[in-house]
Amino acid sequence: MNDRMENLLLALPGLLLLVLAFFLPIGQMLVLSVTGPEGPLAPFVRFLSDPYYLGILWRTVRLSLLITLICGAIGFPLAYIMTKVGPRLRLWLVVMVILPLMTSVVVRTFGWMVLLSRSGLIPEMLRDMGLVGRNFALMQTETAIVIGMVQVLLPFMALSILGVLTRIDGRLEEAARTMGCSFLQTIRTVVLPLALPGIVAGSLLCFTLSASAFITPNLLGGTRIQVLAASIYKSVTATPDWPFAAAQAVILFAGIALVLVPYIKMTGARNG
Amino acid sequence: MVKSVPAWLRILSVVFVALTALILLAPLIVVVGVSVSESQFIAFPPNGLSLRWYSQVLSSNAYLGAGWISIQIALMVTGFATLIGGAAAIAIHRRQLPFSDVLATVFLSPLVLPTIIYAIGMLMFWSSAFGPVSPVTLALSHTIIALPYVVRTTLAVLAESNPYLEEAARTMGANRLQRLWFVVVPQCIPGLAAGAFFAFNISFDEAVLSLFLRGPTLTTLPVQIYGQLEFSPDPSVAAVSTIMIALTIVLIFVIDRMLGLTKFASA
Repeated sequence: MNDRMENLLLALPGLLLLVLAFFLPIGQMLVLSVTGPEGPLAPFVRFLSDPYYLGILWRTVRLSLLITLICGAIGFPLAYIMTKVGPRLRLWLVVMVILPLMTSVVVRTFGWMVLLSRSGLIPEMLRDMGLVGRNFALMQTETAIVIGMVQVLLPFMALSILGVLTRIDGRLEEAARTMGCSFLQTIRTVVLPLALPGIVAGSLLCFTLSASAFITPNLLGGTRIQVLAASIYKSVTATPDWPFAAAQAVILFAGIALVLVPYIKMTGARNG
Repeated sequence: MVKSVPAWLRILSVVFVALTALILLAPLIVVVGVSVSESQFIAFPPNGLSLRWYSQVLSSNAYLGAGWISIQIALMVTGFATLIGGAAAIAIHRRQLPFSDVLATVFLSPLVLPTIIYAIGMLMFWSSAFGPVSPVTLALSHTIIALPYVVRTTLAVLAESNPYLEEAARTMGANRLQRLWFVVVPQCIPGLAAGAFFAFNISFDEAVLSLFLRGPTLTTLPVQIYGQLEFSPDPSVAAVSTIMIALTIVLIFVIDRMLGLTKFASA
């Protein structure tokens, strides 16, 4: 036995598992989506020619972009603050980010269902403050989906950016300050450009995860406000229509790739 | 002299962190609050204080059964993923195989694909090839999505290990198996442990694959909770959820003790 044999043996169980239980099922699904019983590409035609499904697609893209944007707007300052505080406080902030991350999405969404329900804390507070009318409701709205999804995905964004920020040489910021930059100028001209890879990675993650989420949107948005992933789930469970489910999954993946590829290229080119 | 951060900005960042903490932790606090409520209905802030919903959960066959299935599957996944992922990470780290970089990408690829797409693929594949889904189906699919985490944590630990130890063991006459078992594996332990905790946590909390690959007798805890939330939630759901949160806190505590959470989070 030589070195190569030994390493091959070590990697083999994993490779076999991935090929048989990951790549093969996905390949089969791709094939099924284009060769349904109704004829090739029929499920795609059905999806793309129905205003109802196009509406679902548009809602999914719109909400995912909004959720990603909000996560970035909160995640960047949060990660930056995490790099500036002392080790004790930083540990607590990390716990604050990791605890929700490691808690089941179902559990977290349940918390929002309680908070956002008609008699829940948040609508009650808004009503008491006189900001909204008596009939104001948050559950079963797109706003509820956005609130829930931001909480679900913020940890991914914050940790992606934190990973990059901790590797930035702190002296660069000091140099910028000594050269006369104000605090905000330093952030804009030094920290932000250097943190870009983390922001990009976090955004890709957030966008992908929110475009493919259905548990939180289903529970907070109800059945009337459907997103693409919820529609896929319905096609599999309510009316078992596998070619259509497969076609929607392919559309979801293609849509994600369509957004991601130019995004990666653009930021890659800018970084040299 | 460098001007320090302006005072208004300091105050702003304290307010900002407090608000973010509120957004991140509010749903968890609410769930814990509801679980100790006396009232028949879900209410927050809770009315009264009682543990009746916990005793109801502990005497409910639906929850206990689902919990038992979840634990069994999570333990299987932890074993599979740690063994298979750890071995693969050692092979990738040594960089002696052709296409080592491709190999790493292949092992990390389940991270990139949205779980729902994999879930449909797996459901269709399994049904057409083997018939109805079984706990093995679910354990295998959870292993696939947990694998990248084990590979990543083990690779991170190996990257900081001393490459000459194995060489030294070879010169001293240790054979392949001895080198692997007495030199390489002990160096991997922190990474394997972290990966194992991740694998357990992922499998125990995972709901998407578990929803697609469920069966009449194959309902995990998150699926059970999801079903309750869709139809008739009562405070017992909150009690189960609180138990799950408590388990997460224990896991985080153990990870921090074993590896240091801060280092872990920014890795």
